[in-house]
Amino acid sequence: MTGIHAHYSALSLPAEWLIGEDGTTITYAVPDDRIAAIAETLLALESRLVWIFCTEEREENSYTLWYVFELAEMRKYLVLVLSTSHPVSLVEIYPAASRFERAISDGFGLQFSGSPDTRRLFLHEAYPCGFHPMKKSVKNVPIVPSQHTDPYEFRSMEGTSVYQVPVGPVHAGIIEPGHFRFSVIGEDILNLEIRLGYLHRGIEKLAEGCSPEKGVRIAESVSGDESVANACCYAMAVEQILSLSIPVRAVYLRGLLLELERSWSLLSDLAGMVTDVAFSTAASRFTILREMLQRACERLTGSRFLKGIIVIGGVSHDIPDDVLMEVKDTVMRVRVELEKIQSWAISVPSVIDRFSTTGVVREPLIDPLALSGPIARASGRALDVRCDHPYGLYDTYPVSPLIRMTGDVMGRFALKGDEVLSSLSYVNELVTQIPKGPVQTEYEVRDGYALAAVESPRGRTLCFVRIADGSIDRFALSTASFCNWMALEHAVLGNIVPDFPVINKSMNLSYAGTDL
Amino acid sequence: MNGESILFGLLNVAFVLLISPFFMMVIKKVKARVQGREGPHLLQGYYNLAKLFRKETLYSEYAGFISRIAPYAALSILLVAALQIPLIWIPEQELVTANIIVFLYLLVAGRLLIALLGLDTASTFGGMGSSREMSLSAIIEPVTVVVFAALVYVMGSFSIHGIFRTAMTTFPAYSPTVLLLSVPLFILIIVETGRVPVDNPETHLELTMVHEGMLLDTSGRNLALFELSHAVKQTLLMAILLNIVVPAGIALELSAFALVLGGAVFLLKGTVLCVIIGLFESAYAKMRFFQIPNFFMIAFFFSILTIFIEVMM
Repeated sequence: MTGIHAHYSALSLPAEWLIGEDGTTITYAVPDDRIAAIAETLLALESRLVWIFCTEEREENSYTLWYVFELAEMRKYLVLVLSTSHPVSLVEIYPAASRFERAISDGFGLQFSGSPDTRRLFLHEAYPCGFHPMKKSVKNVPIVPSQHTDPYEFRSMEGTSVYQVPVGPVHAGIIEPGHFRFSVIGEDILNLEIRLGYLHRGIEKLAEGCSPEKGVRIAESVSGDESVANACCYAMAVEQILSLSIPVRAVYLRGLLLELERSWSLLSDLAGMVTDVAFSTAASRFTILREMLQRACERLTGSRFLKGIIVIGGVSHDIPDDVLMEVKDTVMRVRVELEKIQSWAISVPSVIDRFSTTGVVREPLIDPLALSGPIARASGRALDVRCDHPYGLYDTYPVSPLIRMTGDVMGRFALKGDEVLSSLSYVNELVTQIPKGPVQTEYEVRDGYALAAVESPRGRTLCFVRIADGSIDRFALSTASFCNWMALEHAVLGNIVPDFPVINKSMNLSYAGTDL
Repeated sequence: MNGESILFGLLNVAFVLLISPFFMMVIKKVKARVQGREGPHLLQGYYNLAKLFRKETLYSEYAGFISRIAPYAALSILLVAALQIPLIWIPEQELVTANIIVFLYLLVAGRLLIALLGLDTASTFGGMGSSREMSLSAIIEPVTVVVFAALVYVMGSFSIHGIFRTAMTTFPAYSPTVLLLSVPLFILIIVETGRVPVDNPETHLELTMVHEGMLLDTSGRNLALFELSHAVKQTLLMAILLNIVVPAGIALELSAFALVLGGAVFLLKGTVLCVIIGLFESAYAKMRFFQIPNFFMIAFFFSILTIFIEVMM
């Protein structure tokens, strides 16, 4: 707590601005002309701007912007709340703000003054001008595609023999859609611009007006390989609003599911990386292990993707001890196998040759771009929501973050392998200690708002929920991929085009998790 | 031109067309087994071709005449090359003029056609594939020439017919230089057929493609023809290695029994070589694009070494 007070005094935020404090956040209401100055003070305190989102208030044309900061050594997120319809851009202080601001401009029609990049983000050309789907006045119905909007302008690179290579959104393989615009000289990549939004499903809009229970199902469908993380994050936010503490057995089970999800999800990253350097001999081994874990997931919950088990107030049903023991056996088998395969794959000379020095994410990029998860940890920063902002089981049984220093594909490959091993060990230890008891609490819905944070396999997931009149008034989710995509744009610079797929796969970011 | 040379031509071309898809599948099957998968049926290659021949052929709206003639031209060039490589029967006389330099440049001509096709469709990946193919081609060509020079020097003939006959008569008491030559010849197969670690024939990653990139816009009958010519090319290169290093079993006179025996033995040797190729591919990750020349250099080194040893002896 001393940490908070030290920062608190350095910030000199008046006590009357404080509007709330809970286990995850400390919230201040800030006058709209002060945000830039405060942001600069915060920057000097080694802070990172991790999220900006917007809510629409009952009065017409009244918007609230929520700035979420993460301060070094501080357990709680600092949230600055701002009521304004003419916001200033924070891009020059925090580059990560750019895409958050563009998303808000698309959704709510707010224009950030001083922003160097005012292009649309997730609204493609087919959406008419002046269409801002997140406004309450816009109904969630199909729209007539527009023919008259300006085409999206990519950053252009000029010079002799520079040419552009457009890739996607339809790819030669069966993967999620995304457009990658390379500027290259020969095979060398000079610039990459990523354009997403092809999977935009209007999930945040869809959640509005739903009951809080239904919100869990919406949150877990955001992205298939991090469904528990997203569902948990949403459930924790709602439980915060309801001041609900969930039974101990449910805390353990959620911890178990989160770690299982991390394991199988990262295992498929490992398989993907070796596939992309055409070393399918190792890839198939990793895939077999992933399959074993996914079958264990199915045995536990009836869903290979662990869907349907997280509910507000705990988990939907208890898992019998004999099933838990079966899963423990599988987890141990996978762990033993993985240790062998990982150390073999990482020592094959032709694999080392492809992985090391490829796609380096430099450490100084981590704060400005608000990177998180394995990408940040492989570049030497021990950022992990489980350790920095412990929640649920990690409060009782802490995990220690693993790091690698190199920041290249090899670093991420080795780190992800180690993380799976440590997750599996964590699961293995816990399974035997799960206390008996109920797995769900009764609750009564009440109005309020809260923010929760969870470490998904890809990094920091933040979820904001506001309940009004017993139903969801605003649901906002920021997955790790949203910020981490920018790491890819930087990591590929100076590499050659044929190395792009393996760099991309070493991050394995979610398109669905970005295109809400 | 006489009856025997027509028979030789027909036999050789028919045999190579018949056998090539099978060899492709053997490699696939071996790789699958190494990965712990069941893999495709050994006859799947024929089913695929049959399927593709029945499918509609689409052309890019920018495609010119190259896209229309290249599939036929590429296969024809390789079938001309097939006339030069006796697979199962080496006649007494050289029935078809078969010069190893001509063979080499027939392969280059086929490669040029496919590179033009990559450009013709005006797609990004086609152009990228063509540019990479031609860059690699410029580096591999001198290496190939040196490999063939070593072969010619050791065997004392430019004629493939002559080389094969020499190999046959000296087998199995041949000099160690012939064994040394098997290394560059093997590397030549890997490089020319675009296998791991040079290129990945099974990739879906358009940005890493070389050979597949050029064919990305090809469909139906045209794709079938390219796949067939790719398989034929592999069989021909395999035949050079096999018929020099282990020539046993090739028919020397024209009789039904000798031909059947020759075919069966070639099938067996080819299958073994395919298993080796499959295992080789499974043991390596693909190389970084700009390091591929290092791999060619191994072939170059072994060929030069062969020439030196031969000169010393």
